[in-house]
Amino acid sequence: MTVSGRSVEVVDLRKSYGSHLAVRDVTFHLQPGEFLTLLGPSGSGKTSTLMMVAGFEAPDAGQIRVGGQDVAALPPERRNFGVVFQGYALFPHMTVLENVAFPLRMRGLPGRERRRRAGDMIEKVGLSAFADRLPRQLSGGQQQRVALARALVFEPDALLLDEPLGALDRKLREDMQAEIKAIQRRVGISILFVTHDQDEAMSMSDRIAVMADGAIIQLASPAEVYLHPRTRFVAGFLGETNLLPGTFCGTEGGHAVVRFADGSTGKARLPVGVFSSAQGSAAVVSLRPERLRLCGAEGILEGRVESCTFLGRHARYVVQALGQSVAVSTTEWSPGSALPPGTPVRLAWTAEDAQLLGEDP
Amino acid sequence: MGAPERRAARGRLVLLIASAPVLLFLLLPSLIIVPMALTRGQLLQFPPEWISIKPFRDYLQDPNWMASTLLSAQVALLATAIAAVCGTAAAIGLHGRHFRGRGLVTGLIMSPIVVPVVVLALGHYLVFARLHLLGSALAIALAHGLLTTPYVFISVQTSLATQLDPALVRSARSLGARFGSVLRHVYWPAVRPGVAAGSLLAFAVSFDEVVLALFLQGPQTVTLPVRMFTAIQFELTPKIAAAASVFIALAVLGLLAQALGRRREARP
Repeated sequence: MTVSGRSVEVVDLRKSYGSHLAVRDVTFHLQPGEFLTLLGPSGSGKTSTLMMVAGFEAPDAGQIRVGGQDVAALPPERRNFGVVFQGYALFPHMTVLENVAFPLRMRGLPGRERRRRAGDMIEKVGLSAFADRLPRQLSGGQQQRVALARALVFEPDALLLDEPLGALDRKLREDMQAEIKAIQRRVGISILFVTHDQDEAMSMSDRIAVMADGAIIQLASPAEVYLHPRTRFVAGFLGETNLLPGTFCGTEGGHAVVRFADGSTGKARLPVGVFSSAQGSAAVVSLRPERLRLCGAEGILEGRVESCTFLGRHARYVVQALGQSVAVSTTEWSPGSALPPGTPVRLAWTAEDAQLLGEDP
Repeated sequence: MGAPERRAARGRLVLLIASAPVLLFLLLPSLIIVPMALTRGQLLQFPPEWISIKPFRDYLQDPNWMASTLLSAQVALLATAIAAVCGTAAAIGLHGRHFRGRGLVTGLIMSPIVVPVVVLALGHYLVFARLHLLGSALAIALAHGLLTTPYVFISVQTSLATQLDPALVRSARSLGARFGSVLRHVYWPAVRPGVAAGSLLAFAVSFDEVVLALFLQGPQTVTLPVRMFTAIQFELTPKIAAAASVFIALAVLGLLAQALGRRREARP
């Protein structure tokens, strides 16, 4: 069986609880077969958005279109989404087979057909030997797979996953991430995934929508979001970064020129989207530690080594520059070549690796 | 035996010595009824003149006492049905909903066991008099249904709080279940033990309720507890003790059923 996902368009979705605007004009387009993640801290509106798509919360405004049809007014049971909840929400008194067959039963399929299709799906998630067990007799990972099978068996338009790996331990999480991706590739379903875990988002998604305060701040591929964060929030939320304040001095060759407090100038990528800052205005450059190099005279910023820590895969320097601590991680390290604290160094980067940040909304 | 075990054994002994008199005090009034029902005499007395089953035979052969027993059973069954439906529906309806006045609604449902029964009885008397229902089995059953609804309500509410994951409702709906299916596949399995326990309690409360039954009685509708109450004032027959023994037997059966049900649930 191949489930082919349909496109889900969310347009200007808005929801407030009392005077608190929980979701503000959220718009995205989940492509057929795409894995799109809503990533953000708790309270960022990601779960509210998912619940509105699933139909458990009514939006104040906006549209939810599935294959062009607006479903915003339909109750959840008349939408055709497979939802997987954080605690799996398996029916405790039903066996694995009965759980997976449940959505088919609700759709009025005859018993034999139900059992055949549920059995196929259970096989697909590798649980055929457990079909007659009750959920409480299964491990967390197995329950997760039952929940996935149950959400997929009725060929939904898309799969909605609400922090489905939150309850699992680290090792199992990684296995399940791979498993979910594998299942998605096998059945070709569109997935809308909600998580606060950046690693999970990075490793699984085709695109990530970073959310804060109810709005999508940036919607792009994991690499784009990581390497070219749009705002200070995105830069800080995904991975580690150094934020260097300076003054915007115009553009040169398509890059921004930024003058730092010590008088030196460096180049950085212009912010994604519209950038309206005038020359001479304050600006912040985001520099990932692994994109910075320590070098001699040809470097951009002057600094002094504060400490050096060997971490196995890489070494981490902390350098004092511009009156702040700047992290630099490097793989070019050997016990003999470590720079002792106090060594004067210069920090260098290529313009493509530095990102001038826009304002957070 | 080590010191901790010795201390524990001594503790158990002290507990037994302290609690035995209390247990005896609690059980004695019930336990002395049974021997009193086995008297050879014509009067309800203690100590009884042993031993005869004549009081039981008299009780079972007296058409008035039998009619009362049957009436009590009918009233209790109908009241239990009312309480089971209303209490369960109320508990499910309020489950997971937060709205202004929720506390007020809960208080209203619970009020029959808070309001003094005499007040409740007087109110019922006046209302049923208006409706020309005084002295009917239906009136007593309706009043008992109201009185026992809170027992089912509480019991089902406890079941919902401990057995039902709220995500199950959402999950079932997302899988295509309409309201009826959610009720049947999600709520019912979770509340079943609560409905059973609450109904048992409702039946017991209705079966031996005196005050409402006394106010609402008619010549044809004297429930068993009311007949016992009247009999003890006028005839002091050992049949009272025989009927009381029936109550005790029912209570023991009820407790056994509940214990068995619990054990079956605990088994995986």
